[in-house]
Amino acid sequence: MSIELMMKQFQDIANNPNKQLADFKAAGKKVIGVLPYYAPEELVYAAGMVPMGMWGSNKKTISRAKEYCATFYCTIAQLALEMLLDGTMDQLDGLITPTICDTLRPMSQNFRVAIGDKIPTIFLAHPQNRFADWGLKFCMDQYNDVRKMLDKISGHEMTDEDIRKAIKVYNASRAARREFVKLANEHCDVVTPTLRSAVLKASWFMLKDEYTEKLTELNEELKKLPAANWKGVKVVTSGIVCDNPKLLAIFEENHIAIAADDVAHESRAFRTDAAEEGDPMLALAKQFANIDYDVLLYDPASSSNRRGEFVANLVKESGAQGLILFMQQFCDPEEMEYPYLKKALDEAGIPHIKLGVDQQMRDFGQASTAIQAFADVL
Amino acid sequence: METIYTLGIDIGSTASKCVMLADGKEIVAKSLIAVGAGTSGPQRAIDAVLEAAGKTREQIAFVLATGYGRNSLEGFADHQMSELSCHARGAAFLFPQVRTVVDIGGQDVKILRVENGAMTNFQMNDKCAAGTGRFLDVMARVLEVDVNDLGTLGAKSTKEVAISSTCTVFAESEVISQLAQGTDKCDIINGIHKSVAGRVAGLAHRVGVQDDVVMTGGVAQNSGVVNALQEQLGHTIHTSPLTQYVGALGAALFAYKKCNK
Repeated sequence: MSIELMMKQFQDIANNPNKQLADFKAAGKKVIGVLPYYAPEELVYAAGMVPMGMWGSNKKTISRAKEYCATFYCTIAQLALEMLLDGTMDQLDGLITPTICDTLRPMSQNFRVAIGDKIPTIFLAHPQNRFADWGLKFCMDQYNDVRKMLDKISGHEMTDEDIRKAIKVYNASRAARREFVKLANEHCDVVTPTLRSAVLKASWFMLKDEYTEKLTELNEELKKLPAANWKGVKVVTSGIVCDNPKLLAIFEENHIAIAADDVAHESRAFRTDAAEEGDPMLALAKQFANIDYDVLLYDPASSSNRRGEFVANLVKESGAQGLILFMQQFCDPEEMEYPYLKKALDEAGIPHIKLGVDQQMRDFGQASTAIQAFADVL
Repeated sequence: METIYTLGIDIGSTASKCVMLADGKEIVAKSLIAVGAGTSGPQRAIDAVLEAAGKTREQIAFVLATGYGRNSLEGFADHQMSELSCHARGAAFLFPQVRTVVDIGGQDVKILRVENGAMTNFQMNDKCAAGTGRFLDVMARVLEVDVNDLGTLGAKSTKEVAISSTCTVFAESEVISQLAQGTDKCDIINGIHKSVAGRVAGLAHRVGVQDDVVMTGGVAQNSGVVNALQEQLGHTIHTSPLTQYVGALGAALFAYKKCNK
């Protein structure tokens, strides 16, 4: 199969999650909606069910969700609720609601109240103090609650061996995605920003073993290509979600390639693997503890601005000339972290721009001007 | 050698501007129509500048479009560029020592850092009308005055009135409330100018303000905003009678550069 056709298949999946959901249901699978961030999807897979990521929508408008949400909740959370209320996600068999940010915490209760008995909701509170033994224990307790709820929904008990197998599948998937990100940089003439986004986005809507198989096939074909002789500029993207095809088309119009990303919906989600041996619940808790350089997670050494330096190094090491930050409207963690990121980028002499975005944006005139001007500067 | 004519067209959100240059040096003709993208403004501005110069499209070596509606001239323009680059280029042509450009347009505020005539850094306002030309239009309507008279009226202020710089909608409510309390319009207008200046100064400090500071865009004609911004930045602000044409001028200069490539 040609590279173009393979990427087109990923694009079709990324653009049609509702079809994926319908197909899974038609095949007799149970499907669990998984909200951001860092839910142990491995447990859903181990239970023999399909985890589907719910990161809002670029096509919907908030209407019904307004009844339950404060105006200052991000559109990702509000649009997730909108899809649960307007029938889009009615076929779900369950919903995991992590609570790592100040919006998702209250939203976990809004989801519960708004959807009532329609879909079982699984509350998940990650610990911010995640390194100490008691932090790991708290995380394991939470994960065990999730496990029990998933067992109830699936109708059978998953074994530790099931979870170890799932961890292997997920580690392989994460490794394949990390490799794809590098190949997308080397072959940025073929893997455009829109296609790069679609390939990574599709991972949220597929069973990871099937996804990894397809992605590995794509990676192997990409490896055969000569490295791109790229005449445009390269940037690193940062933010929560940067998947709007209209926005990414502006990159292409201005000959901007994405060298790497620091995006929650993309690379931040697959930087860290879990141990494949030993107690699998401890392995998942340790995996969460090992996630580093993240806007949403506590860093005891944050005063040294490790994260800012990490992102600045990402720009340098990936061969990018600058960084484009997609600032999700009403995302407090990203807003509060921005001055530190800016400081690190300025100190490293890396130009950047910050674009305000939300998922209900339909006009990208201002973003287009800023991105074009940024390309001129670079 | 035959003269090379280039045309810069700046289609903004509220006005369409054209500048025609001869050999990238001399302004041959210019035009301005007070409606912008999505209207008849761009075509009328083009017709007016061609007529004023006595030229046809065929006699123009290169046409470069800029501004919010820059993509709407496909087939007529040879190239398009962002208005930020064009404002920096136009400002550097008029003020060779420029290091900072403050461009307040109809719906955007832009702060540009310029080095050796080229833009090296910039900041734009968030998706919000506060601090833009639109903000002044809304306020003028509420106050029942002509937007062009705001500078003169604000200068007559005798009392400090604070107006929010956070949001156009909130600021409009505040202005209505001040009017209801019988506050003098001139004082309110002065407060509005300071509100705009506060918003713009905050953005400017993110880039860093270095002399010479040049203000471009239609709002630079409002002496009240210019004075308030000067006060808040602590830097002298230079303006030009061509302030509304700076983007189109920059576009015509880039067009000339394209011809010589």
